[in-house]
Amino acid sequence: MSAQAKRARFQSLTLPHLNRMVALASRWADGHEAEDYVQEAYARAWVAFGQLRDPDAAFPWLCQILRAVASERRRTHARRQDLLFIGELDAAHEEMVASDAPSPLDDLLARLEVGRLREALRSIPDEFAEAVELHDVHGLKYREIAKITSVPIGTVMSRISRGRQLLAGLLAVAGETRAKRGVAS
Amino acid sequence: MTEATLEHARLQELVAPFADGELPPDAARLVQEHLRTCARCRRELALQQELARALSWEPVARPSDDLRRRIEQIGQPSPLREPFRWNTRWMAAAAAALVAIGASVGTLLRERRGSFDRPVAQIPMFRDAIADCHRAMARNFPRKADLQAVGEGLQFPIPTLDQPDAELFSTWKTTLAGSPAAGLAYHWRGIVVVQYVVPTELIRRPPEVRQALRGSGFFAASEQGQGILAFLAHGSGTLLVANAPLEELKRLM
Repeated sequence: MSAQAKRARFQSLTLPHLNRMVALASRWADGHEAEDYVQEAYARAWVAFGQLRDPDAAFPWLCQILRAVASERRRTHARRQDLLFIGELDAAHEEMVASDAPSPLDDLLARLEVGRLREALRSIPDEFAEAVELHDVHGLKYREIAKITSVPIGTVMSRISRGRQLLAGLLAVAGETRAKRGVAS
Repeated sequence: MTEATLEHARLQELVAPFADGELPPDAARLVQEHLRTCARCRRELALQQELARALSWEPVARPSDDLRRRIEQIGQPSPLREPFRWNTRWMAAAAAALVAIGASVGTLLRERRGSFDRPVAQIPMFRDAIADCHRAMARNFPRKADLQAVGEGLQFPIPTLDQPDAELFSTWKTTLAGSPAAGLAYHWRGIVVVQYVVPTELIRRPPEVRQALRGSGFFAASEQGQGILAFLAHGSGTLLVANAPLEELKRLM
């Protein structure tokens, strides 16, 4: 394959995923930095292009590279998120599903500003947040997530399930805190 | 624990993949059966579905036109052989100067100094600096200047060039000869100067550099008006690479 043909093929297989790549990179970094991650990932993808055997798997393949870039870049940066006490989130989730009362989730979601839910994902442990985000925000299938994150599909199932449970618990705890503040004031 | 409780525990694990349509038909039927009699799992199903739906509506970042252009340039012939299409953030003069650095950097390090006879480009620190400079150029120096971020985790200070007309525009972390280093790019008098800040022990490692530092306080190589300088300052080592005569470059020390 000539260099020109290789480049044309690279672009046709990878450029359609640029929007999703930037969206995904924004889970690790903001603005220009997220774009730097993506550019670095594309530069590496070009070098390793011969390793892409299945053209239909271009996006998961790019995601794997982007994950590696993000992991290297973030090694020296402290994680920004404040991990909440997991037990508290579990208890809040348990209360939601165990009670006969109508779930407060509808109300909590309705009151949430646009963009806050994805932001809230950053406050739960990363392995759960990543699986939930790849599925719910970026529309990847479980088998694709398993490939990207190098874990068995059963692990993806439990991470997504548990990730959403923790997120629900987080919304409930945050809602309760806001309500208490409202009463206090 | 009763058999029913065990069955419930097993099936509630499958509620999320059921909600996402990710279960094989047999398993999906089992979950559906269970949901008829288990209010808790029905509430769990509603919760999983609501959150998945709400997350799918969340706004996501979009690539800038500039990034799209830069990605489209990947795979183009090397900027060392053909004119490079520069990032729109760049000034034309700086871009032209940088092309000149790229074209000449391979040859400028052939200069030999002192009583040592090996080509300078065979010294790992310089060899890696050249390669890194090429990489940074190929990516149009994508990192914005952020001294705090580039200094994080490094065990040596990052002194910048002490010249009011040297404008720092990009910083990045890299590795030279297996040692962590910081790359800093400046616009200076119409050219681009790249500074690599490294640990002092790295810069002292090559005997020819060590000898030069003991003598004049700096190591220099130049060819056809291009220059490279290595010196120690403020507890770190610095390598400067630029398309400028050595005498001019020494003003930056």
